[in-house]
Amino acid sequence: MLVAWKYKERNTIIQRLDPRARWIFLLSLTFSIVQFWDIRFLLFFFVISFGHYFLCRLTWKETRRIWTFVLTLVVVIIGINAVLTGRGGPGEVLKGPKHILWQVEWVVPWVGWTISPNITVEKIVFAITQMVRMLSITVLFIPLAYTFNPNQYGVTFRGLGLPDKVAVSMDLAFRFVPTLARDFSITLDSQRARGYEVERLEGGLIAQIRKMAPLVVPVTINAIVGGEDIVNAMDLRCFGLRKRTWIHKLEYRPRDYVLIGLSVLILAGSTFANLGLGLGNFWMPGWALRLFGF
Amino acid sequence: MDKKWYAFGTREVVFAALGAALYGVLSFATNMLALPAAGNIALRPAVCIPMFFGVAFGPWVGFISGFLGNIIGDALSGWGFWIWWDVGNGLMGMIPGFAIPLLAGYRDAKSLVIADIFVIVGVVVGMGFSSLTEIFTSGIDFATAFGGYFIPAALTDVINGIILVPILMVAYDAIAVRTGR
Repeated sequence: MLVAWKYKERNTIIQRLDPRARWIFLLSLTFSIVQFWDIRFLLFFFVISFGHYFLCRLTWKETRRIWTFVLTLVVVIIGINAVLTGRGGPGEVLKGPKHILWQVEWVVPWVGWTISPNITVEKIVFAITQMVRMLSITVLFIPLAYTFNPNQYGVTFRGLGLPDKVAVSMDLAFRFVPTLARDFSITLDSQRARGYEVERLEGGLIAQIRKMAPLVVPVTINAIVGGEDIVNAMDLRCFGLRKRTWIHKLEYRPRDYVLIGLSVLILAGSTFANLGLGLGNFWMPGWALRLFGF
Repeated sequence: MDKKWYAFGTREVVFAALGAALYGVLSFATNMLALPAAGNIALRPAVCIPMFFGVAFGPWVGFISGFLGNIIGDALSGWGFWIWWDVGNGLMGMIPGFAIPLLAGYRDAKSLVIADIFVIVGVVVGMGFSSLTEIFTSGIDFATAFGGYFIPAALTDVINGIILVPILMVAYDAIAVRTGR
C-alpha cells in the first residue's frame, strides 16, 4: 500500500506564509464565525474563507471527494434539518413571528396527538444562514491537508506554545507513517498468502470486527516492538534533558505579522460586536418576506 | 500496576507518535480496502488503536494517538480538518488510559473487563463531545446531533473497542513481560 500525503509544494502566497501565522488566522476566524447567526456578518467571513481557499490554488480533481462530502453534509444534514425543524440555532426562528409557506396537520393514530410540521420563510432564511456559516468554517480548513507540510507540524506547534515533548511526538508521528504503511502492506500480503480474505469477511458485524484481528494485531505489536528500540536509542542520547533545536527553523516575516495582526483584529472586533454591542443575532431580511409574497 | 498514569517521558513521546501514525495509517488503509459493513455503518477497526495505546501507555499517549491519528488519517484521505472530531478521538483514547491504576495485568479477565468499561466511557465522552460540538458549529439540534452523529459513531466505536482492545492487550502482555516495563 502506498501512502502519499495530499500535500505538495504549489508556490502560492498561502504556502509562503509562516505556518504558525496560518494557524492563528484559521483559529481566529473560526472563533469569530461561531459568534454570529446574522447572514450579513457571515457573508463577510464567507468571502474571506473562499478567498483563502482560492489563493491555495487547489484543483477540482484533488478536492472532488471532500467537496462531495462537505456539500452532502451541509445541504442534506444541516440545510434540510434547519428547514424542517428550525432548531439548533437562535430561538428567534421558532419563537418569533412565523410566515408559513406550507403546513400539514397529522393526527397520530391511537394517541390522538396532533403534529403540524411546517416550513416558514424564517426557517428557509435560517437554513441558508446555517449553510453559509458551516461552509465558511469548513472551507477554511479544507486546504490544510493539501498545503501544510507534514514535516512542519512539530516545529509549528512548538512555536505555538506546545511543550517540546508533545511537539517531538507530533513530528515523529508524521515520520512513522511511511514505515508503518509498508509494514501494514507486508502483513496484509502475508495474511493473504495464508488464505485470509479481508475483502470477504463473513458473518455479522461483531464477527467481522473479530476477524480484523489477524491484520490489526501483528501490525500493532510489531510497531510496539520496534518502538521499544527507538525509546532505548533516544534514552541513550539523553532525550529530554535539554531544550530541543529543530531542523526546520521558522521565522516570522513582515507579511506574517500583518496576517497575525489582522487575525487578532477580526477576532477582537467580532467579540466586541457580539458581546459588547449585542450584534450578530439571527437576522430576518424584509426582502425575503416580500419575495414570498408577505 | 505501578505505572504513573500522568507521566510523559521518552517512552510516552515515542508511543504517542507510534499510536498516532498507526491510527492514521490503519484508518486510511481500512477506508481503501472498503471493508464490508452492515447498512450505513462504516467498519472502522482502527479506533481500537488510541484506546489500546491509552490502556497500555497512559492517557496522554491515548489522547495524542487519537487526536493526531485522526488528523493524519484525514490528511492521507484528503478529508480536511475537523478539530472537534480530532479532540473527540483524542478523548476516546485518553479515558481508557485512566484504567491503568486499576489493571493488574494485560491478560486476566478482571483487567480486560475494566479496560472495556473505560473504553465504553471513553467512546461516550469522546463522541459525545464531538457530536455536541456540532450543535454550536453546524447549528444542528440535539436530536440530530444525537441520532445523526453520536449513535452511529459511538455504536460502531464501542463494538470495535470492546472486541479488539482486549485482543491487543493479551497480545501485548507477552511484550510487556519480555521488556519488563
